[in-house]
Amino acid sequence: MASNPYSFGETDQVLVEEKSSARIFTLNRPKQLNAVSFQMVSRLLDLFLACEEDPSVKLIILKGKGRAFSAGGDVTAVVRDITQGNWRLGANFFGREFILNYVMATYSKPQVSILNGIVMGGGAGVSIHGSFRVATENSLFAMPETALGLFPDVGASYFLSRLPGFFGEYVGLTGARLDGAEMLACGLATHFVPSNKISLLEDALCKADSNDPAVISATISELSLVPNLKEKSDCHRLNIINKCFSRRTVEEIISALEREAADKEDEWISSTIQSLKKASPTSLKISLRSIREGRLQGIGKCLVREYRMVCTVMRGEISKDFFEGCRAILLDKDKNPKWEPSRLEQVTEDMVDCYFSKINEEGWEDLDLPRRSNIPPCAIAKL
Amino acid sequence: MEKEIHLLQFITINSMEKVNFRTHILSEHLQNHRHATTATISASPCFSYVPPEVSERPFSFDVTSMRKLMDGHNFGDRDWLFNLMVQSELFNPRLRGGKIFVMPDYNHSMQQQRKITMKRIEYLLDHGVFKGWLTGKGPESEMKKFALLEVIEIFDYALAVNIGVHFLTWGGAIQFFGTKRHHDKWLSATENYLINGCFAMTELGHGSNVRGIETTATYEANTGEFVINTPCESAQKYWIGGAANHATHAVVFSQLNIDGKNQGIHAFIAQIRDENGNICPNIRIADCGHKIGLNGVDNGRIWFDNLRIPRENLLNSVADVSPDGKYLSAINDPDQRFAAFMATLASGRVTVTVSAVYSAKVSLAIAIRYALTRRAFSITANGPELLLLDYPSHQRRLLPLLAKTYAMSFAGNYLKLLYIKRSAQLIKTIHVVSSAFKATLTWHNLRILQECREACGGQGMKTENRIGQLKGEYDVQSTFEGDNNVLMQQVSKALLAEYMAAKKRNKPFKELGLEHMNKSCPVIPTQLISSTLRSTQFQNDIFCLRERDLLNRFAAEVSQYQAQGESKESAFVLSYQVAEDLGKAFSDRAILQCAIEAENNVTAASLKSILGLLRSMYVLVIIEEDSAFLRYGYLSTDNAAAVRKEVVKLCGEIRPQALALVSSFGIPDAFLSPIAFDWVAANSWSTIEN
Repeated sequence: MASNPYSFGETDQVLVEEKSSARIFTLNRPKQLNAVSFQMVSRLLDLFLACEEDPSVKLIILKGKGRAFSAGGDVTAVVRDITQGNWRLGANFFGREFILNYVMATYSKPQVSILNGIVMGGGAGVSIHGSFRVATENSLFAMPETALGLFPDVGASYFLSRLPGFFGEYVGLTGARLDGAEMLACGLATHFVPSNKISLLEDALCKADSNDPAVISATISELSLVPNLKEKSDCHRLNIINKCFSRRTVEEIISALEREAADKEDEWISSTIQSLKKASPTSLKISLRSIREGRLQGIGKCLVREYRMVCTVMRGEISKDFFEGCRAILLDKDKNPKWEPSRLEQVTEDMVDCYFSKINEEGWEDLDLPRRSNIPPCAIAKL
Repeated sequence: MEKEIHLLQFITINSMEKVNFRTHILSEHLQNHRHATTATISASPCFSYVPPEVSERPFSFDVTSMRKLMDGHNFGDRDWLFNLMVQSELFNPRLRGGKIFVMPDYNHSMQQQRKITMKRIEYLLDHGVFKGWLTGKGPESEMKKFALLEVIEIFDYALAVNIGVHFLTWGGAIQFFGTKRHHDKWLSATENYLINGCFAMTELGHGSNVRGIETTATYEANTGEFVINTPCESAQKYWIGGAANHATHAVVFSQLNIDGKNQGIHAFIAQIRDENGNICPNIRIADCGHKIGLNGVDNGRIWFDNLRIPRENLLNSVADVSPDGKYLSAINDPDQRFAAFMATLASGRVTVTVSAVYSAKVSLAIAIRYALTRRAFSITANGPELLLLDYPSHQRRLLPLLAKTYAMSFAGNYLKLLYIKRSAQLIKTIHVVSSAFKATLTWHNLRILQECREACGGQGMKTENRIGQLKGEYDVQSTFEGDNNVLMQQVSKALLAEYMAAKKRNKPFKELGLEHMNKSCPVIPTQLISSTLRSTQFQNDIFCLRERDLLNRFAAEVSQYQAQGESKESAFVLSYQVAEDLGKAFSDRAILQCAIEAENNVTAASLKSILGLLRSMYVLVIIEEDSAFLRYGYLSTDNAAAVRKEVVKLCGEIRPQALALVSSFGIPDAFLSPIAFDWVAANSWSTIEN
């Protein structure tokens, strides 16, 4: 680590401001919607670790430059690396990203993330694990990985599974988009502050000069409000979501939805079924299992498991859907991925098992999480 | 910690109407203040909780693989059901020390406990948990049923017993004693809880001695009906789970009388309540009242006042009555008829046996995790206080029980598979093994619960810490599905029968694991050193030696009594001491063989090595505790002392793996208890409402 971690000259992917005892980190790749790159992850990790040691720092504010908070991990770069044979770089990226997620989840100082725009995938990973998540009317949250041939990673199996009922399964499998009001309603956000008050909020937080979560919470609350959910909000659908997404398997979830659809014409149900049918069958199955296991585990175990999963995805031995998804959605943009296996029933239990098993090969070791001294008890699971 | 609370609190929202949703959010924010303010107050705690995951060494083996070995099957189904319970308000989620725990509220009255139990059943039913439990075919659906029932047991035994009564005893009776007409009419209706079943066998005057029950069923050819009657007070049906409040139908065990001739015990279906829950005419029902545990189960008493039921309600797989009143059975011998009947009841015994293992796992996981974080007394001047589990005496209390639980877990898995493979040839083996294991494992669990309760000190007294309450909930296991002492006597009797048959025909032993009797008597080395004590060879030898010798002694003692003019039955009764020792010897040896087999099937060296330590501990602690080894001279006093020393050494070697070993039980945190985690935070002032 450099002697003064706040003044790296080499990159400006993360802008750093010091305001009294607060540090404001701004994700700074606006053209790429602040996609989380390896460089950005490394920089954030260094900054977070340094601030934890630094007694003059009491609060961290994390935000994004431009109209996005962060649209996700920079998967295009990862896929490029892997296809060029540099799978090690891919593994390094995910490993470093997950360690950052872990540090944030077990961080001893308050982190306020200002989610004034798109928050997806890796962007959720660097914010939802923090203590305060402020949504605005511009917030747009989604975990769209199943449409990309991946699965909700960055510790999503931990935070999605802790949403009410089986809402997490719904959000994780369908990639459903949530606005700020919905984020607040389901608990992904802790506060909602109108975007025109965000700069006031920043000033107030810096002025508060406190590391006491109660003071921070009160400061945000002064500017926050509880917005109305839109009429067609998914949050009004919790009964049917619980009924269908609590099923044991993806197949059963889909047939439960289809039974509902047969009972009554409903646009929401049919679009939900549509998004499940468009997603990678392999992704759906491993995602569901990951969320179900995650609900019973601590954050550390979740990240270790997700790292095994992502390594298996990168190795492409069971399925190459991740590469196909990136091709179809991000590179060629034909939006017409050819999944392989193409049907849910072709994805066997044994295939799913592979994603959750330890890879006994050199270079694919389990994720080695740092030992955290002041780890909150809930961050630890025993299995 | 805030952020965790934020998300976790939402689990408690079930109905999730939007209004609730938002009020919750608001209250969340308010709560945040409270939590945080007090967090600052406790900024310099006297005793800081350090999670064992941080203080203990990293695991030396893969706990996920170990969990798979222990649970054996249907991992995804288990996790799914854990998920269903954790996400529902009905399972009483509570926030303690930053974590959510689900467990029944034992402060509820008996009626409240029964009510919530029925609601939980309804929730599980709605979510498809029972799908295929009676209509599913093949071993796969049976194993799935076992797995899901085990998960339910981990949450609450009363819930599991209610479900077990309905599916395994009522449903099982229809399945096994009934024929197609009963299957068509009742199985699917039972699976979907269109009716509520109960199993009316035990009476006030007769429990384990089923053949002595006094309820009568008399056939009337002119009406084509059976008349079921309770002739005297001792014939009232007693302890009938489900009968007090909610059962609509009962399988009634009665003496069948046709033309004045008693044909022995038969099972009949009787409706006891109508669809509105009103008790049917000619039936009287009373509550068994408040119990020392399992108050979520509505045990009741039933009297039948010449209740008439149609002829078709006789469960007729073993014997039938023709419309004109002829008794028809393929099995002529009433003894065999009774045996065929009882054989099908093994499933209840199998689930009781396995549930004892899961209860043991829950309490050990809690007590050992607590012992890895709670300190008491310093043994150096100004030094830190010692962790409970760093006291060799505390290790000696808990770690041998941990080792036994591992062995018994493998025994439970073996028993399930044996039951699944059931066939006419296996009836005897299943009966003997399930009897022996049921008694041994349920006794083991009760002992563990007491030891763990004490090991948790005062914290063990709180019902939210589960262990103390489990003592009451599981106590009945030593009695129902066959009194443990009676079962063990039956084991010894069965062994003797095997012995007599082999001697009489001069044929080798080939059943019940007695094949070792065909070989020459094992010789125990005169001086036992550590490596010998830990060898499978020695361990097997000494357990076989004990069983062989006790069987010989039992046979000799019984025949001696008979030579003195005692009847065979009274000779058995008089030889109870050796019979007891023999039953135990059989059970211990059979369990050891299950443990060895599990160990042999493992390939990973790290797993093999810890399983080896546990196996040695299992054997040596039995040798240390069972005076039979000294009484009958299988061990010299010197060797007994060597064994005792080795137990202490093994405690020290297992100690560093204790956390990994209880983590491998695969019980999610939410199903343990607050003292298993941050019990300082769970008890802090900030957690007190207002």
